[in-house]
Amino acid sequence: MGAAGSKLEKALGDQFPEGERYFGLENFGNTCYCNSVLQALYFCVPFREQLLDYYANNKNIGDAEENLLTCLADLFTQISSQKKKTGVIAPKRFVQRLKKQNELFRSYMHQDAHEFLNFLLNELVDILEKEAQAAKSDPETSSPTEKTANGPKNGQLNGVRKEPLVTWVHKNFQGILTNETKCLRCETVTARDETFFDLSLDIEQNSSITSCLKNFSSTETLNAEDKFFCDKCCSLQEAQKRMKIKKPPHILVIHLKRFKYIEQLGRYKKLSYRVVFPLELKLSNTVEDADIEYSLFAVVVHVGSGPNHGHYVSLVKSHNHWLFFDDENVEMIDESAVQTFFGSAQEYSSNTDHGYILFYESLGASNKS
Amino acid sequence: MINPSNGMISTSSAAANAQSPGLKTYFKTPEGRYKLHYEKTHPSGLLHYAHGKTVTQVTIANLKDKPAPSTPPAPPSSFSASSGVRSAAARLLGAGNGSRALGFVGGNGGSKSLSGSSRIGSLGASSSSSSMINTNFDGKGTYIIFNVGDAIFISDLNSQDKDPIKSIHFSNSNPVCHAFDQDAKDGHDLLIGLNSGDVYSVSLRQQLQDVGKKLVGAHHYNKDGSVNNGRCASIAWVPGGDGAFVVAHADGNLYVYEKSKDGAGDSSFPVIKDQTQFSVAHARYSKSNPIARWHICQGPINSIAFSTDGTHLATVGRDGYLRVFDYSKEQLICGGKSYYGALLCCAWSMDGKYILTGGEDDLVQVWSMEDRKVVAWGEGHNSWVSGVAFDSYWSSPNSDGTGETVMYRFGSVGQDTRLLLWDLEMDEIVVPFRRGPPGGSPTFSTGSQSAHWDNVPVGTLQPAPSIRDVPKLSPLVAHRIHTEPLSGVIFTQESVLTVCREGHIKIWMRPGFAESQSGNNSETLLSTSSKEKPLLSSKVGSSSYRQ
Repeated sequence: MGAAGSKLEKALGDQFPEGERYFGLENFGNTCYCNSVLQALYFCVPFREQLLDYYANNKNIGDAEENLLTCLADLFTQISSQKKKTGVIAPKRFVQRLKKQNELFRSYMHQDAHEFLNFLLNELVDILEKEAQAAKSDPETSSPTEKTANGPKNGQLNGVRKEPLVTWVHKNFQGILTNETKCLRCETVTARDETFFDLSLDIEQNSSITSCLKNFSSTETLNAEDKFFCDKCCSLQEAQKRMKIKKPPHILVIHLKRFKYIEQLGRYKKLSYRVVFPLELKLSNTVEDADIEYSLFAVVVHVGSGPNHGHYVSLVKSHNHWLFFDDENVEMIDESAVQTFFGSAQEYSSNTDHGYILFYESLGASNKS
Repeated sequence: MINPSNGMISTSSAAANAQSPGLKTYFKTPEGRYKLHYEKTHPSGLLHYAHGKTVTQVTIANLKDKPAPSTPPAPPSSFSASSGVRSAAARLLGAGNGSRALGFVGGNGGSKSLSGSSRIGSLGASSSSSSMINTNFDGKGTYIIFNVGDAIFISDLNSQDKDPIKSIHFSNSNPVCHAFDQDAKDGHDLLIGLNSGDVYSVSLRQQLQDVGKKLVGAHHYNKDGSVNNGRCASIAWVPGGDGAFVVAHADGNLYVYEKSKDGAGDSSFPVIKDQTQFSVAHARYSKSNPIARWHICQGPINSIAFSTDGTHLATVGRDGYLRVFDYSKEQLICGGKSYYGALLCCAWSMDGKYILTGGEDDLVQVWSMEDRKVVAWGEGHNSWVSGVAFDSYWSSPNSDGTGETVMYRFGSVGQDTRLLLWDLEMDEIVVPFRRGPPGGSPTFSTGSQSAHWDNVPVGTLQPAPSIRDVPKLSPLVAHRIHTEPLSGVIFTQESVLTVCREGHIKIWMRPGFAESQSGNNSETLLSTSSKEKPLLSSKVGSSSYRQ
């Protein structure tokens, strides 16, 4: 491990970025889902910086009880303050806390990285909101953590709550989708907004992220069993529905739905489809600000042929170098190697390393709220 | 365990087992059916994937009837009438190549002396060797050259044999790009660029006449990457350049070579001062080869293309920019950025007025040399666009009195495994509504992109256009034609040729050609084609052909 570290240092030579640390994370038995996402989040620089800031400012507030936020901040601080430039760290406290917090992650079984990411972000938001409320000495405490939400479609994150607090987690990851439904009888358009931390996209064989995003926003007709209740017509009507992005997030997280429930099989199946993702991306399905450019900075990769087993690794772009994180190992890779994680054009391929969660950062000025 | 995060998935998307519905052996267009005529592939057992995977590219090579120096050049892509004989020979040779135990006793001896021989000697040597094996193979006709893994394969375009007639294996690195010079004055007409940066020039005829599996009579440039060790990305002969050729490398540099010069001379170039700027450096010594280095951009160049007359050179690359150079003046004239992501391919119209590019934004861009900007976006691919080409044999059916003029026909292929055909009629392109100050001229309302180039200094690169500013084209037809992502498309007089990344090639006969072709071998191709040509002009409304 030490040798691997020095190898990475050698590879980077005097190009080793000032003040940057590249540390592998120890695996405590099937915790690669956690490690791969943590690396992606660590190299999400605005998120990392704000987390470290937060930690620096709140460290001494009455030695507040340990939670996932403090554990994560503690881990990131530990990495960034290492004397050595490379090495391995054991995210022990964080993983223990995670297991304590959510029984789902308690077992030693293979877990879903996207589910973990979603749980973590929602948990962080909850903690921050509680703190903000406590600071306002408002007696009213928010309800305990809602069941983890999964992308926009189930809409559990949406602004049903009154005046949601905008935390720095929101500022980084939150976007707003608008769900437009047009009644085909009275032609009234009903728009409903919902917030999201990531977009979960259906995928097709030999397609691109651009194309999957287009499908995500394509017009869907609601008819037959699935009619829409139009408030104006006061009855069920045929309608057209489409999802558009009203406010693009600063950090765009795209989750590829590679694990699909196949009814005929009665189980989940991994789709190994080849879905190409460009290193730069623009969203064409926005209400406005159409030409905001995003740049890919991290990819969580699922390795394996099935949904219930396998491994997670991550690819991370830091200071214009691409790095490959596989638990405790960190290697430098060429930008062109990112292509080997697109998926398989044929089902029987031996390639099982597939991009699963993509992290894009807006190249636009700043993360305005 | 069951994965609840994915339990939310709607079952709306296509079922997972809709993976490979049978591909059709034809595709429809307004002018008729294009029929799958031949398929070409490689004997996969012969491949050694030791160097990792590569993407297959195809070059079409038309060898003239007689050894080059003694005959006047034949018109491009004219087909010799003796193809029946040729393909018989091809089958013979193909069988020979398939057996691994081939002994090369005579052939190899001949090739040894050839490769040892000097550059000037190679012509004579090649004719002597041709007399040796001439009974097997006459070395004329039209060939397909394609790379897969560590090998270059050569197939006869007009034979129904699936397997190549010749394979050339490279032990040190994978061949990744190649180019053929129709009008080469001496024997060397084929260029091959390797993953290691090495470049070879050889005589195609000599390779065909040799029975070995190694390159024979080659000149080696940039040996072991001594000049540049970046992967060769694209290689091209300079049209009318008297044996000059250019090689673009993955590190953003392009080198100009002359095949008449020895590659051994000192050819060091000064350090590039500003990586972000275009610069040209000439070799210090007159004997040096390469003779010049063009630093084009940071990051890989993905593809290059010369205009037909050789005055302009277009490059596209990882940075998403199309750049157009005046080749002889060594000057950047114009260029612009993709909507987003890298550009992967580019091609000129025959008249040099338009450049097509395709890239990672799933768009086919039409660049106008006159306007010096993108004049249209073709929307229709579901993945990256990996090959574009104008159909220079297309004649627009504008004689039917409707006044409708289709100016250009072009095709594109993508990683979505589909071929799209497009008609480009400049009068038809409508500039979409722009949001600008009321009353303001729509042309200037959105700033730099739409300004006419008169106001833009030479060499200015346009930023990515806004999505609202570019007119959109829809494809005439879109067909899924392969099972693997595609890497290239070529139009010939008789056919459209498509190739996938894994090295499978399909040759689709144009309407009117296919009927006479299918089944038996092509004896009367030329006469048939002229007879059936009028069929091309049958025009049907295009909308019904869209997928």
